[in-house]
Amino acid sequence: MSTDERNTTEGGSQAAAPASPKPYWIGIGLMAMGAVWLYNAFGLPQGARYAAVGPGLFVTIAGAGLLILGAILVLQIWRGESFEAQDAEDADGSNKMDKRAFLTALVAVALPIATMGPLGMPFTATLSFVLVANAFGSRRWWLDLICGAILACAAWFLFNQLGLQLGRFFPPLGV
Amino acid sequence: METFELLLHGFSVALQPTNLMWALVGSVLGTAIGILPGIGPALTIALLLPVTTALAPTSAFIMFAGILYGAMYGGSTTSILLNTPGEAGSMMTALEGNKMARAGRGAAALATAAIGSFVAGTIATLALTFAAPAVAELAFYFKPTDYFAITALAFCSVAVVMGTSRTRGFVSLFLGIAIGVIGIDTMTGQPRLTFGNMQLLRGIALTVVLVSLFAVGEILYVASRYRTTPGVMAPIKGQLWMTKQDFARSWKPWLRGTAIGFPMGALPGSGSEIPTMLSYTLERKLTKYPEEFGKGAIEGVAGPEAANNAAAAGILVPLLTLGLPTSATAAVLLAAFQNYGLQPGPFLFTSNPALIWGLIASLYVGNVMLLVLNLPLVGIWVQLLRIPRPQLYAGILVFAMIGVWGLAGSWVDLTIMLVVGLAGYVMRVYDFPIAPVLIGLILGPMAETQLRTALAAGQGNPLVLVSTPLSAIFITLAVLLLALPILLKRLRANA
Repeated sequence: MSTDERNTTEGGSQAAAPASPKPYWIGIGLMAMGAVWLYNAFGLPQGARYAAVGPGLFVTIAGAGLLILGAILVLQIWRGESFEAQDAEDADGSNKMDKRAFLTALVAVALPIATMGPLGMPFTATLSFVLVANAFGSRRWWLDLICGAILACAAWFLFNQLGLQLGRFFPPLGV
Repeated sequence: METFELLLHGFSVALQPTNLMWALVGSVLGTAIGILPGIGPALTIALLLPVTTALAPTSAFIMFAGILYGAMYGGSTTSILLNTPGEAGSMMTALEGNKMARAGRGAAALATAAIGSFVAGTIATLALTFAAPAVAELAFYFKPTDYFAITALAFCSVAVVMGTSRTRGFVSLFLGIAIGVIGIDTMTGQPRLTFGNMQLLRGIALTVVLVSLFAVGEILYVASRYRTTPGVMAPIKGQLWMTKQDFARSWKPWLRGTAIGFPMGALPGSGSEIPTMLSYTLERKLTKYPEEFGKGAIEGVAGPEAANNAAAAGILVPLLTLGLPTSATAAVLLAAFQNYGLQPGPFLFTSNPALIWGLIASLYVGNVMLLVLNLPLVGIWVQLLRIPRPQLYAGILVFAMIGVWGLAGSWVDLTIMLVVGLAGYVMRVYDFPIAPVLIGLILGPMAETQLRTALAAGQGNPLVLVSTPLSAIFITLAVLLLALPILLKRLRANA
C-alpha cells in the first residue's frame, strides 16, 4: 500500500468504524471449543480409584464453561452488546483495519513454521523482520534486510552463548 | 527482631557484586521496556525465562524484580512527555502529566513521578518486608481446601474486575484454564487433549502463550490499525526542576498513593489500573487547587505514580507467600519459580531464605538505582523513542520467535504461536482482557491439584470444599463477587 492510501485510512478514522457489529462467530467458536474439550473429557476417567475426582473433572469444567460462556456471548451479541477495539500505544482502535498490513504481518508470523527447521533461525528471523517492517510501512526493504540480518545473527550468537538451543546457523549448508 | 536479621542477611546477598550487576541489568532493561511501546515487563521476563538456565535463581529473580520496578518508572516517562501510556497503570499519569509537560513543566512532572515512585517503592517494600513473613506464617496452616478456595476467589475477581464485561473476563479465564489442562495429567499420568501429538504431552508452556498473546497479538493488531501520526514529544531541556511548592504539594499524594497502591496490588485482579484511578480521584477531591486539575496539577501525577509503584510491590505479597499470581507479570514470575523447581509459598521462606530475602533486599537497592537512572538520565532514555516503529516491531517479533523456538526447537510451538497470536489479535479487536488467560493457565493446574487433593481427603464429598472457616469465607466472597452485580441490578429494577 502506498503512503497516499495510508492517509485515506487515517482520514477514515474520523467516522469511528465499529468493529464488525455482530461477531456471532466468536461465541460459536467458543462453544465449538467447549464441545471438543467436553468430548475429550468423556473419554477420561472422571473418578479415579483413590481420589474421588479423576483427570476428567477439570476438563469437563473447562469445556462446560466455554460452552456456556459461548452461548451467553451469542445471546449478548443478539441483544446488541457493543465491541470496541482497544487502543494501544501505536494503534488507534477506531482506525479501519488495514488488511494488507495485517496479512503481511501474519505471513511473517506463519513463516517460521515452515522455514525455522529447514533453513535455520537467522534466515527465518531476517525474512520475518523485513515482512513486519514492510507491514508497518517501511519501504526501504534492502535496509531492513541488512538490519534484520544483523539483529538475527547477533541474537543467534548471543542466545546460543547463553545456552539456548536455537539449532544450526544455516542448515542447508550444514553450518 | 527476626525479620530484621533476615533482611540484613538478604542485603548481604543483594549487595554481592554479581547480584548488584543483575539488579542494574534489570533496572536498565526495565526502564527501557517501560519507555518502548509494544513490550512490557511480563513479555520481557517471559522472553528471558529460557536464558535463566545459566543463572542462579537468586540472581535471576533480582534481575526480574528490577525489570518489574523499572517498567513502572519508565512507563511514566512516555505518559508525561508523549501522552502515550504504555501500561494501563500509567493512564492517569498521562492525564495531568502531559498537560504539565505541554505547559513547560515537564521536568517537574518527571521529577515528582520519579521521586514519588522511589518513595512509594521504598515504603511498599518496607510493608512487604513485614507483611510477607506474617502472611507466610498464616499460610503454613492452609489446607488444600483453603488453597482451592483462594484460587477460586482469585479466578472470580480477575474475571470480574479485568476488562469491560464479566462475560468477556470469564471467557478469557476459561480459555486459559482450557489450555492449562492440555498435556499429561500430573496425578494419574493420563494424556489429556493431546490429539495424539507427542509434543503436546508436556503441555503448552506459559511462555509460548504469553509471547503469542502479548507480542504476536500486539504486532498483528498494531499493524492492522497503525497510528501513522507520531506523537509530539514535549521538550524538557533547561526547564525548572521541582520547586519548593511542588514538593509541598507532592509529598502527601505520594504517601496516600502508596497507602492505596500496596494493598490493592496484593488483591487479585485490581492490577495497577484501579489503584491509580482511585488515587487520581482522591487527589482531585482533596486538592486545594481544583481549578488546576485537567490543566496539569502536580498532585495528579504524584499520587497515581506512587500508587502504581506501590502496587508493583503489593503483587509480590500473594506471589511469595501463597504462590498466587494476581497479574500477568506475577504469572510469569511464578512460571520462573517453577522453572527452577521452586514453589513460592510459606515453605520457601524456611527452605530458601537467601532467595526470598535477597530478592526483597534487592528491591530496596533497585529503587535507589532506578531513582539515579531515571532522574538525571531521563534525557538519554527518551532517545529510545527515536527507534523507528517498523524496525522496533520487527525486532520484537524476532525476539518473540527466538523465545518460542528456543524452548524446545519445535514447530508445534511455532504453530501454537500463530494460532494464539491470532487469538490475541481477535481479543484486542473485540476488547477481551488478556491477563485472565495467563492467570487461568498458570493457576488452573494448581486449582485442579488442590481441588482433587481436597476432595480425595474428603472422600469425594463436595462439602469438604467449605469445611474450614477460611475456605467458607473465600468461597462466599467468590460467590458474592459473581452474584452481587446481578442482584444489585435486579433490586434496582424492582425499586
